[in-house]
Formats: sequence, structure tokens, C-alpha cells
Amino acid sequence: MFKLCLNYLGSFMILSLIFSCASDISKIDSEKELIEKALDIHNRVLTLDTHADTPLRMIQPGFDLSERHDPNETGSKLDYPRMVEGGLDAVFFAAFVAQDIRNDDGHNRAKNLCLQMIDSVITSTNRNSDMVGLALNPEDAYSLEKEGKRAIYIGIENGYPIGNDLSNISLYYKKGVRYITLVHSSNNDLADSSTDSNGPEHEGLSDFGNEVVKEMNRLGIMVDVSHGSDSLFYDTIALSKAPIIASHSNARKVTNHERNMTDEMLKLMAKNGGVVQLTMLSNYLREVPPNAEKDSAIAALRSSMKPVAKMTEEEQNEARESIKKLNDMFPVPLANVKNVVDHIDHIVNVAGIDHVGIGCDFDGGGGIEGVFDASEVMNITIELVRRGYSEDQIEKIWGGNLIRVFKEVQAIAEKIQTEEV
Amino acid sequence: MIASRLLLLIIFLYTTIQANAHPLKLSLCEIEYSSEKKLISVNLKLFLTDVNEAIVFDPYSKDLAFCQTNESKHANRLLLNYLNQFFYIKVNSKILELEIKNKNLKGEGDNTALWLYFEYIQTSPLQSLEIKNAVFTDLFFDQNNIVYIHIDEKSKSLMLDKKKSIHQLKF
Repeated sequence: MFKLCLNYLGSFMILSLIFSCASDISKIDSEKELIEKALDIHNRVLTLDTHADTPLRMIQPGFDLSERHDPNETGSKLDYPRMVEGGLDAVFFAAFVAQDIRNDDGHNRAKNLCLQMIDSVITSTNRNSDMVGLALNPEDAYSLEKEGKRAIYIGIENGYPIGNDLSNISLYYKKGVRYITLVHSSNNDLADSSTDSNGPEHEGLSDFGNEVVKEMNRLGIMVDVSHGSDSLFYDTIALSKAPIIASHSNARKVTNHERNMTDEMLKLMAKNGGVVQLTMLSNYLREVPPNAEKDSAIAALRSSMKPVAKMTEEEQNEARESIKKLNDMFPVPLANVKNVVDHIDHIVNVAGIDHVGIGCDFDGGGGIEGVFDASEVMNITIELVRRGYSEDQIEKIWGGNLIRVFKEVQAIAEKIQTEEV
Repeated sequence: MIASRLLLLIIFLYTTIQANAHPLKLSLCEIEYSSEKKLISVNLKLFLTDVNEAIVFDPYSKDLAFCQTNESKHANRLLLNYLNQFFYIKVNSKILELEIKNKNLKGEGDNTALWLYFEYIQTSPLQSLEIKNAVFTDLFFDQNNIVYIHIDEKSKSLMLDKKKSIHQLKF
């Protein structure tokens, strides 16, 4: 059923070759058994990825999610056939609208574009109802899995399309949205981003952002703090009546990046009952290794060029091609599955096994060596088994924790709505 | 010994083949048409590191110093030479000549973006709009170029890339 990832197949073949030379058959057998055990577990547990920017691909003219795409052609990382190959049972498609001017015009346009993206997800699930189904509640992932279908949930990445109108949240909920990431790479009217070059604007959540969190609690939409500033995290976790999520963030202690979460935050997540979903973005998983050979080759090439302003157009094109060849010859090594599970180990140590999950960020920059696209996600399970994680623990990491939070968010919404009556 | 060397060689070749990609690359283009103002405006947001890599072959070059007081006198020409190869907007089958009306820098570090603004008077009704946006697809196989089109009150989004870099809308 699963495509055995090239990474492991390759390693296994290499090991087979070498170990057969050394007549060490037992190690090969144990490696083979480990992979088989991991794939069995991967097949049994619900595998849920909380973050894919695939709706961006869906606005590409002619792009069809029911067809298999080559990730090395244009960078496409997820489609329905590759979900099947990788044994990925469920995914949250994040509707993302790039942030523009923060006024009524900008907000209205963002709302229209966001609704179009959501509609394109719904259309795709309807059109491919033999392979996938639109999922709205936690249980839907399991019922669709039983039917042999992939579950497609919807999230929104960036609260910008909410604008300044709380009623939009209800509109998005009715469309099927089940989490909203409060901010993206810039501050918006709700809250501060971790990466806005102008620094904090609201010192966390704005007054309107407070109302947004309360409304999300009331409706049963998970509050996502990924991309938020540290202050946003602290404000949100203090305010939210329901557990919160970080749909695609890692551990800052392992990789020092402002998009990752400190140990203090991880401990608060545990106290809150929330979950941090590990993401497959290389720069959040490891420090970029130096590459002196590449640097010197590029420096040598540049020093041999005449000034760009004196080049003909043809010479400029040739120079660009030469640099590209060097970049292709010395690519920046991607993070790998061991880096991912290093982060999982750390979060488990600090927050516990109940507070970590997976949010790959495919089609949003996610994709590493060994988990380059959706067809290879089983390699995470293989590494978890290698490190001694049990099936129960893997079930929690791969979806159980997120589903628990999702259920609690819905239960709290029901309680809030009952109290209102 | 031979087996160890073989192992190292195979692992080296294998990891070289595997590690052949880099993070998501994006640009954003917003095209707006107002029938009331009879105006087409175009905002093109490009990451500065990508611009520098494309036209001076060094992502962190300060040679052109876009939007700085010491901006190179060649900066706009080199930029437009590049853009004219990879980007156009055709209105009613006629290509709009790229002439920068305004530009500015936003953000810092690797997130610094160069915003270019173009503006055109459009007196005749809009019948068709064709966009080619293949910027940086010559450098990055996974470059994604998002295009937002706002025609009066209606909006539409597109994503163009190396494989599909041109799209036409008819009205």
C-alpha cells in the first residue's frame, strides 16, 4: 500500500550490500522488521497533517488535485494520489491570502479571495468524492478513513480576511473553517506577528483580536498561534477558554528561530491542554550548515565577470545561467527526518506526549530530505519507531492529540452557546 | 575497508541526489482596474534577494542599492531588462510598457521586499487581460507567482509558475 520512501529504500539497499559483504544478515533483518512494523503502525493510526498551503496550488489554472504531480517539476508537494501513497489520512488545507493594505477595501478584497479559495477546496472535494471528503468535525476523519477516503479539513492562515468584522468568523465557520491562524508574517488588526520588521504594534493581541478569540471559542474554531509573536501566544493562551494549537511550529530550544516555541511556551501549552504541530520547514528544524566549497566557487565565478552594467543582455543571461548551475551543483542541504524527531523528542520531554503533532506545511515551504512531499510522510513514523515510540504514542502524535483538542474546542463552544441561551 | 569506502561513496552520491531543493519562493502581483477612474494600476512585490540574484547574481549585493540615496543609475534599467523577459500584462491584446512610476522597500533582512508600482490610463473598456509572470522561474524551479486581479468590485486570484506562466481573462 505504501511507497517505501526512497530514502529508506536507498539506505536499506546500501545496508544490504555492505552487510551482506560482512555477512551480517541479522542487522538487515532487524532493519527490515523495524520498517515493516512502522508501516503497519502507520497504516493503523489516523495520520493527520494540520497545515498544507495547497489551496495556493488550486488557484493555478489547470491544476488538478486528483492527478499526481512531480515535486521536482514545480514544487507541488501534495495531491490526493500522493496522500494515498504516503498513507496520509487527513489534512487541513489552509486558505491563505497575502496581506495588503489594512483598510475596508483591502479587507473586502481579502475576504472575497479567501472565500474563493475555500470554495475551490469544497469544489475539489465534491468533484473527487470517490477519493476524499470534506470534514467538518473530529469524528469525520475516522469515518472517512473507514470509507477509504481522505479527510479534507479547512483552515485559514492569517486573520486578515476577517478584517474588522466579527461576523465574518461565523461566515467562515459555516463554510467549514475549523481553525484560524491569527496572523501571518506581518502584524494585522488582530495581533502581532513574530516576523514583522516594524516590531510589535499591539504588544500581543489587539482589543479586536481579543474579541476574535472569544468568537472563535464561541463558534468552535481552533485558535492557531503559529506565526504569532511571543506576546500573542501569552495573550491568547491566557484568554482562550479552549485549548489552542500551533498548526505549524517547532521547538526554539532545538532550533533558535522566532517562529519556534520556547520551553516556557511548551510547558504552558501542556497546562492549557493544547498541541504544537511539528512543521517540515528546514530553517525551523536545523541551522543552515556552512558550505565553503560553494562560497569559493561562486566568489571565483563572480570575480571573473565584468560589471553587470557593461554586460549585454546575452551576457547577463549567460552569467545568470552559470550561477544557477553552481547553485544546482551545491544545493543547501535540507533538514532530515532525524531533525524532525529531535524536535518531537524535545517537546515530549518538556510538554509531554499529549501535546505534539504534525503540520508539514506542504506547498508553503515544507518538505525535507525524507519527507519531501506527502508521499513520504511514513518516514516520520519509521524514525519514531526507531527511537522507541510505542503505537499508542505514535497515534497521539499523528492525530490523536489534535483530535482531542478539536473535540474539546467543540465541547467548550457548545457550553458557551448553551450558557448564552 | 573497501566496503567502508563503498558505503561512504554511495551515501555521498545518494544524499547529493536527495538534497536538490530549496524553500518556497514567492512573488505577488496585484492588478487593479477601475472603470470609473479609467485606470489600471499594478503593484509587483519581489523579494530583494531574488531581484539581486536575478540581475547582479548575488542575493546580498548592495551594488544597486534600490531606493537608497546611493541607488545605482543602472538599477531601473537592469531591473526592467530582466522583467521584460519574464513579465508582461496585455490589455485588449496590447502589452503595457513597463515604466516604474514608484518603488519602495519594505521589511528587513531576507524578508525585504521591493515593491514596484506601475500605472496606466485605460479609456477603452476592458475586453481581455493576459498576464505572464515567470519572474525568477529561470532561477528557482519552484517559484510561485501569485497574481491578484481586482476589476472594479470583483477579485480573482491566480498562481503562475514555471509550467504555467501565462493566463488570459476575457470580459
